[in-house]
Amino acid sequence: MTRQKFQLSSLVLVGIITFGLPLVLRSPTYLHILILLYLYAYLTTSWNLVGGFAGVLPLGHAAFVGIGAYTSTILYLQYGVSPWIGMIVGGVLAAVAGIIIGLPTFKMRGAYFALATIAFGEGIRVMVENIDYLGPFNLNGPRGLQIPPLNVGLANLMFTNKEPYYYIILIMLVAVLALTYSISRSKLGYYLNAGGEEPEAAMSLGVNVARCKLIAMAMSSFLTALAGAFYAQLTLFIHPKSVISLDLSFEIAFIALIGGRGSIAGPILGALLLRPVSDFSRIYFGATLPGLHLIIFGTVLILVMIFQPRGLQEPLTRVYHRMLDRLIPEPDGKE
Amino acid sequence: MIYILEDLINGILVGSIYGLTALGLTIIFGVLKVINFAHGSLLMVGMYVAYWAVTLSGFHPYLTLILVVPVMYLFGYYLQDIVIKPIFKAEREVREPITVIIVTTGVWYILDNLTLLVFGPQYRSIQDNPLRGKMLEIGGMLVSVPKLWGFFAAIITAASVYWFLQKTRTGRAIRATSLDRDAASLMGIKQYKVYNIAFGIGTATAGIAGVTLVPFYNVFPTVGVLFDIKGFIIVVLGGLGSIGGAILGGIIIGVIESVGPQFMTATWTEAIVYGLFLLVLFVKPSGLFGVKYEW
Repeated sequence: MTRQKFQLSSLVLVGIITFGLPLVLRSPTYLHILILLYLYAYLTTSWNLVGGFAGVLPLGHAAFVGIGAYTSTILYLQYGVSPWIGMIVGGVLAAVAGIIIGLPTFKMRGAYFALATIAFGEGIRVMVENIDYLGPFNLNGPRGLQIPPLNVGLANLMFTNKEPYYYIILIMLVAVLALTYSISRSKLGYYLNAGGEEPEAAMSLGVNVARCKLIAMAMSSFLTALAGAFYAQLTLFIHPKSVISLDLSFEIAFIALIGGRGSIAGPILGALLLRPVSDFSRIYFGATLPGLHLIIFGTVLILVMIFQPRGLQEPLTRVYHRMLDRLIPEPDGKE
Repeated sequence: MIYILEDLINGILVGSIYGLTALGLTIIFGVLKVINFAHGSLLMVGMYVAYWAVTLSGFHPYLTLILVVPVMYLFGYYLQDIVIKPIFKAEREVREPITVIIVTTGVWYILDNLTLLVFGPQYRSIQDNPLRGKMLEIGGMLVSVPKLWGFFAAIITAASVYWFLQKTRTGRAIRATSLDRDAASLMGIKQYKVYNIAFGIGTATAGIAGVTLVPFYNVFPTVGVLFDIKGFIIVVLGGLGSIGGAILGGIIIGVIESVGPQFMTATWTEAIVYGLFLLVLFVKPSGLFGVKYEW
């Protein structure tokens, strides 16, 4: 067996397991945990387009989640527009917002950029909390919006059981992974990388760093908003504290940083490691030891930053390659 | 009219305390060139230390400064020495250590949730303290006494930190490191020691801010978050690294928050503050009173 065949077959195996899991795992609780895991992996992968490839630290991505969630929900509740269309509209709005916020901020240096995105995210949350009616649109302020689960079905992205949600978010995740993979192999990906590592050097070689970052920001915010609309349809209830919270912005960034920013596997790895910690510590210790998972998050984050600043994907990739070498030695010694 | 004047005075008093909470942020940034995301949590720790010191001893809140300042200084000193220094050493070549920001975020999460675990989520306030709810009447206007104390504490702290940095040998070493850490190292200044001291001073000012807040503010595990975001806004507004700027930035925010509700719903003032912050970032990132930094 050659190495390529091995990698392909393990990929197929992972595909079979993930797509077959709902057939075996019938518990809605566990399915919900998995759905959230994929959702976070998706959000983090979208974040990674800016936070990883472009080498900045955006800490306000919850604003885009909120824009997606509110757009699709308002369009559905007030105009009966299918959430699928609302999703796209929300994505476009978020991309516009991303460009507007990116235009002035990408000129800033690291810390200022992080602060500006925090202020942007928090500003959006405060606005939504204070506005009941934005023109004709009913935001309902801090009370949030509830979607009555009446017209269940694929057309309205609303289901009574968890399995369809599972497959939809899984497909979204695979799609976004494929997209990031192709971007990382494209000219844009190389430009972004160069601009993130050495902006002056990249600019002197004629790379329009600011423009590349803007494109990445627009894509990232678009994709993030799609997840927001999905989340709204999953929980059927959104309010500013749940979809536009600072904690959400930070958690997305944390997962990426622990997994390894700027890599494709990093966000998946981060979500795989951290989401179960958060879910299970909330289930088992939520009443007795509140906030335990956040202590674990913080500790893991510090340890990873001290010992593996490029994230956990780096040592794991090394182990994987060593294992591959052991299992299937390359005959002519090429990579 | 008298109401607006009263609000203005109140805003200046509260704002100066905001400035005091942000003072450490600006000191630490000025030297380490790092935004300390854990600053609000350090303030929270300071508040808890002050709260317990007052509750257990029954002293006047401001007397606990004798305990709070050294405890917080040492806490900050060793926090930087043990947790943050390794990152600096690993990323010596990097101009803007984003990793350090991330680590301070980790410290924030650990401190806040550890406090939640140990002390629980309840709001605490000092029961019998001589400053509680006291009001002073000046020409028909009511001025809160604990906030007045806080105002003086803020001015005195800022002035003494400024004096320390300008006049003492250690202060000169700190300023030299903040201007050019490599050149300072060549002059025989121990860079990481200076970082520890600066972090200690910043944390100690957070402790002082905690003491000024405790007489009229509740203590709870996430109290720092409120001041965290506000602190970022204040220091950018006033100019990162500028001590006077932090106090003036704080006063600007305080006045907006307290005079604003005369003209609009109180919660809208928060949105205005964020808007002002983004405006300053876009138009003049060096802040209103800051010097232009190249870092």
